Amino acid sequence: MFNTTEEYLEALRNEMKDADPALLQDAQADAREHFSTALAVVRDAKPDLNEADVLKTIIEEYGSPEETAAAYREVERRTSPALKQPVKSQSAFGRFLGVYVDPRAWGALLYMFIAFVTGVFYFTWAVTGISVSVSFLIFIFGFPFALLFLLSVRGLALLEGRLVEALLGVRMPRRPLFSHQGMKWFDRLKALLTDKATWLMLVYMIAQFILGTIYFALIVTVLSISLSFAAIPVLQEVFQQGAMFNGGVRFFFPVWSYPLLVAGGFFLWTLFMNIVRGIGQLHGRFAKMLLVSE
Amino acid sequence: MTDVSAQIKKFQKELNSGTSALVLLSVLSRSKEALYGYQIAKMLEESSPEFPMMKQGTLYPVLRSLEENGLLESTVEPSVSGPPRRYYMITSDGRSALEEWLGIWKQTKKFIDTILKG
Repeated sequence: MFNTTEEYLEALRNEMKDADPALLQDAQADAREHFSTALAVVRDAKPDLNEADVLKTIIEEYGSPEETAAAYREVERRTSPALKQPVKSQSAFGRFLGVYVDPRAWGALLYMFIAFVTGVFYFTWAVTGISVSVSFLIFIFGFPFALLFLLSVRGLALLEGRLVEALLGVRMPRRPLFSHQGMKWFDRLKALLTDKATWLMLVYMIAQFILGTIYFALIVTVLSISLSFAAIPVLQEVFQQGAMFNGGVRFFFPVWSYPLLVAGGFFLWTLFMNIVRGIGQLHGRFAKMLLVSE
Repeated sequence: MTDVSAQIKKFQKELNSGTSALVLLSVLSRSKEALYGYQIAKMLEESSPEFPMMKQGTLYPVLRSLEENGLLESTVEPSVSGPPRRYYMITSDGRSALEEWLGIWKQTKKFIDTILKG
């Protein structure tokens, strides 16, 4: 039997070790909330009861780790993932063009755009938070300030996880990491500082700035090159301007090359969309590694 | 003859997995205020004190999946004693889903009763 919440959560972790870590994190957060709420309610009603006995009963009524794990797995099986897998087309060419009807590719493209904005914000928040927290530590109010900052990092990590799940289709936590209730705030600060998860989240927030910038530059570059290729016939025929420059002199592309130029632009963008889908999957895995605690 | 109680448990579990969403939606539709997980578990326990119908831990994943599907919404609020709690409320989508589910449930119940009577 289990005497403490921690023992139960540990058993639940063992039971769900093959499950998605994000699902385990949700299950643990629910169990922790239930136990501490139940304990607080019983404590208010009958303060003279032995706390350890009360907890034992609560855990008994909650169900064994096997039952709980089975319930989560069952519900997860029935809940469809955020982005459904598209129907696989047979030929390689069909698969290549199929990227346009794949919601994951469009989701990844949108995510890469957004990553530029969120990356700048995360970076500013992390760097400002760290430096202000550290310098405030010489004052007494520096400690609660650092605590607030670290809690905000957890909140942002949850938010980023929701974004990653919605746009990249990677299962991420849907509940915040349980915070340590009933602790003095100084102990909470210490627990947050010694938790690997906090630091990994900060690393993610800083890395997002670099990645977001690269993603944005990539999209803008490839989009403008592809569009330029496709626009050459328009430029030459409608505006009567040669599209090729050589030593300050404009040259015209021959008319027979128009279909090739347009097809080339289209090919380049399609190729890029395929790459974007891959980058999205990689980024999803990266986010899972840093934002979901073991 | 092998392990009758395991068979009973399995049957109960399979029944519950079909009905728990209906039960939770109906509890939340009748409540005027938002409820948190432990409150709901206690209410269910009181309606069947001699025989616990389901383990409390199995409610949470169902609550979460109902929320995921837009039938419930939730807010986290601090409590006077103890940790912050997640309060669940039924949405208008949830109410219309419940209405349809109740229709299906009544038909199913009638069908089973007819079969069992023979």
